[in-house]
Amino acid sequence: MRLRLCLLIATGLLLPVIQAFAHHSFAAEYDEKKVITLKGVVTKFEWTNPHVRFYIDVKDDKGNVTNWDLELMSVNTLTRAGWGRHALNVGDQVTVTAYLAKDGSKRANARGNVTLADGKKIFAGDARNGNGTEQ
Amino acid sequence: MRKAFLQAMKAAVVFLALASSGLVAMAQSRGQAQPKPASPAPPAPRLPNGHPDLSGVWNGGGGIAARSLKPGDHIVLTPQAQKIMDARQSKDDPEANCLPTGVPRMNPYPWRMVQTPTHKPETHILILFEGNIHSYRQIFMDGRPHPEDPDPTWYGHSIGHWEGDTLVVDTVGYNDKFWFDFDGHPHTTQLHTVERFTRTDLNTLSWDITIIDPGAYQKPFTVQTKARFEPSWELMEYICQENNTNVSHIQGPARAPR
Repeated sequence: MRLRLCLLIATGLLLPVIQAFAHHSFAAEYDEKKVITLKGVVTKFEWTNPHVRFYIDVKDDKGNVTNWDLELMSVNTLTRAGWGRHALNVGDQVTVTAYLAKDGSKRANARGNVTLADGKKIFAGDARNGNGTEQ
Repeated sequence: MRKAFLQAMKAAVVFLALASSGLVAMAQSRGQAQPKPASPAPPAPRLPNGHPDLSGVWNGGGGIAARSLKPGDHIVLTPQAQKIMDARQSKDDPEANCLPTGVPRMNPYPWRMVQTPTHKPETHILILFEGNIHSYRQIFMDGRPHPEDPDPTWYGHSIGHWEGDTLVVDTVGYNDKFWFDFDGHPHTTQLHTVERFTRTDLNTLSWDITIIDPGAYQKPFTVQTKARFEPSWELMEYICQENNTNVSHIQGPARAPR
């Protein structure tokens, strides 16, 4: 609970940094106070504008599977940071920390918070620095 | 319990302090690619025609109207414009719908300035935008006046001239469809903008935009901003309409507190 409190306050302050990259109003689509961590398998990866998106199947304790739609920054922003269309593949296992959509749909904004099963963080910082950096 | 809460708050503050210092460090490390403040950037280059060379890829600039005002300036809407602004919903923001930004808004993508020709006084200056829809502005430098009754357009009719080393661009003939920012600052077809572009050194383009629109604002105001030179960048394709699934999920008034 305490950890969650820290996380919520921290993400609230980090938001303005993120907002600067959006082609739409971040606050009108996502709730910076609702952060979710999802673990799942990539079912689709769209290297498209205005936002790169990927979809993951997340299984709950009872075995029910839900498909989530996760938003990243644009192709252009990610390319200039050294990332490419091969950074993520269907079938990859990922852990994602993301801001939930305000409309209650299975949709969240995950920019900078995607971790592969081997621990490598992707779409964060500058890929050319090596393993990516915290952002 | 109270103690536990305080401890949690303390942990949050420490975390934030670390996160903030990390951001500052990141910003500083990025800045290392630029000349250090101790050794000022080289001066703006010049074209063979003697004018400052503004050509190349720039990033940033434009304005979020209410957040980058010239010191001392204020935005005072007319009652009618206030009504329009108060009613605006984020889902209707033209930029979110992949429509052009108009002036003074700038999307978070670079743009290229092109001056032509370069061996004698320019006849045209073009601004090529990577976002929001690969649109462009053309600024006529050949001395022609504005048309008497231009069709209203997203970027209007622009004529430019040099005042010393500053490019002054005068634009009329705008439509009233674009917003100045996420907050939904409106305007009318009476909008008249005067932009002053000055390359203050190799890396910096100062860009002041004066907004004159008696239909929406009770007095003119000026947005002041800067763009950074990105000599190693090229414009990339950016087709906003390709997969814009955002609009159906955007909600709330444009002017919601954020």
